Amino acid sequence: MMRIPPRTALLGCLAPPGARRTLAAVAVALLAGLALIACVSDEPLRAWLILITGPLPELRQGADGAWHWHRLVRFGTVLQDTVNLTLLALALLIPFRARQFSLGADGQLFLGALAGMVVGLSLPGPAWIVLPLAAAAAMLAGALWGGATGVLKARYGANEMVVSLMLNLVAIEIYRLAIMAWLRDPDAGFPATPFLPPTAMFDPLIAYTGVTLMLAAAPLAVLAVTVLLGRTTLGYEIRVAGAAPAFAAQAGVPVARAIVLSMALGGALAGLAGFHIGHAVLGRLPVDLAAGLGFEGLLVALLARHEPRAILGAAFFYAWLRAGGQAMERSTDVAREIALVLQALVIVLVMAERWPWQARTGRKATP
Amino acid sequence: MNFDITSPMVALVLALLALLRAATPILYAALGGLLSELGGKINVALEGLMLVAAFTAVIATIFPPPGLPPALLPWWGCAAGLLAALLLAAVLAVLHLECDADLIVAGIALNLLAAGLTVFLLAELAGDKGSTARFATPALPSLRIADLSAWPLLDLLLNGEAGRGHHVLLLGAPVLALCGWLFLGHTRPGAWLRAVGENPEAARAAGIPLRRMHYLALLGSGLLAGLGGVYLSMGYLTLFQADMTAGRGFLALAAVFVGRRSLAGVCAAAVLFGAAGVFATRLGCLDLPPQVLAMLPPVITITALALSGWRRRCRRRSTDDS
Repeated sequence: MMRIPPRTALLGCLAPPGARRTLAAVAVALLAGLALIACVSDEPLRAWLILITGPLPELRQGADGAWHWHRLVRFGTVLQDTVNLTLLALALLIPFRARQFSLGADGQLFLGALAGMVVGLSLPGPAWIVLPLAAAAAMLAGALWGGATGVLKARYGANEMVVSLMLNLVAIEIYRLAIMAWLRDPDAGFPATPFLPPTAMFDPLIAYTGVTLMLAAAPLAVLAVTVLLGRTTLGYEIRVAGAAPAFAAQAGVPVARAIVLSMALGGALAGLAGFHIGHAVLGRLPVDLAAGLGFEGLLVALLARHEPRAILGAAFFYAWLRAGGQAMERSTDVAREIALVLQALVIVLVMAERWPWQARTGRKATP
Repeated sequence: MNFDITSPMVALVLALLALLRAATPILYAALGGLLSELGGKINVALEGLMLVAAFTAVIATIFPPPGLPPALLPWWGCAAGLLAALLLAAVLAVLHLECDADLIVAGIALNLLAAGLTVFLLAELAGDKGSTARFATPALPSLRIADLSAWPLLDLLLNGEAGRGHHVLLLGAPVLALCGWLFLGHTRPGAWLRAVGENPEAARAAGIPLRRMHYLALLGSGLLAGLGGVYLSMGYLTLFQADMTAGRGFLALAAVFVGRRSLAGVCAAAVLFGAAGVFATRLGCLDLPPQVLAMLPPVITITALALSGWRRRCRRRSTDDS
């Protein structure tokens, strides 16, 4: 029996049944979060409210009578995380559409950040030359690493989920080795690369945050992936290879090529996320850069139900919860990992296609 | 000890023991993965199931029910861990079988849920995000097989270092593999399970209870992965650490693919992956950057997966030609 891909439900109002269910799942998960917090906290309601409203910037009247924005740094964190999560979610979404469960975004991000940093540190010149070249290097590194998973799957039949997770471990070790052995700044108090020269970095749009021109990369990437999947031959091949591989092969679609390219393109976007972290957010790469962001991107892709147009909203929501969790941890007795729990809980609720007591619909039989 | 620690035979036996300890958790999870794969419902949440079992086992021993005799404390933890893994596997089974969720996507999501939930509850219940090292938690008992002090090497192999005996779950793994062989090959539910995995429509037509077999595959894999997790936190170590499974659930999944769905093959692959980890640790005495050593086990896993897929492809090609 052929598997039909999940129907293109969408967060907005374009597909009301799916959207309504997603919003209901979000509401249920947030309430479950309140219950969970109540089990462990002395002041559950306050903690929960900080989780929900923490990242909201405040408009307050100063002593001089003028109105000022407050807490913009926290909101800036939300925006910069939105960029990361959008790029990572798109990186996972493209192979998902080919029904390839490649989870290698983390490793591709590390190698992309490394490649971008090498270019940024070694290449003198004006920003309009260095930055595009560094971005290209980061995307190339991510694409090669993602394509490696694709080749191992398409040529050798190696399960892409396990291979991509193993390649993550290898990539992170390559990253650490490169920084410890070759790129380490001897003057830094901890193992990290030197700071990028100002010409190789983006200027912040909000002071003291990593919000830069790269903010535009998120909607642009969404647009690019939407066009790729919906309007190009390669996108069609990727979708057919995922929906009905046997049919695709019969009809002459180059399935192996579609699989490899879907993973390479995804890798390029994850590499771009690495470039964003290096050149816009941090300015230098510490050796213990936290792994695991790729898995948050995975949650975003699942929440958006593999629909590129819904990624931006889903990424913003998860970045919001992330920042809210950090604010909650700072001011209450609840750990910020509650955000991860809620994010995963939303996914588990969204995944149910029907309730157990409902009759099985004939959805799988009709395309 | 009454034998020469520098002799090569003793070193070999000691390495073998380390290998067995490293392979045991992977073997349990791989048996679970095999059970689900043979039933046609591959369980990719093994990692999360192990993690939840390891965590619940330790937390249950920190907060035991009042009046529990101390001798039963480890078994209480073990039971709690297995129950937690079974519950999470039941969530997966209900999501997929009753709510039509995609099995692989649901499995991935449950892995992430388990990772977040264990760290969150660890921080809240044990007051530390790293581990439960502040609490002294017990291990499951070890078993001595017999008094073999007349043959030191055999004694070392069968009763472990200093004759302390082997952990009961370490000894249980080969026994369980044997039980799995009996179950799959020589019982009616075992044959039904394989039939359901081979061709669900034909199995249904033959009157096999399809849904019950699917539940058996998923819940059974949860229980087996849970045993692996309990061994990690109540045997391999006697504490819980954040992300203590460290990818073993995915290694087990790799073992199922590399072992090509045969029991012997899966066991061999699980031992191979255990050996790869031990090998990388032993190479630590060489003058190599630690990062290069850490790359070894994943590279070995990828190579094994690619080789096994490549051989399968070659064989298929040769049968196509003939």
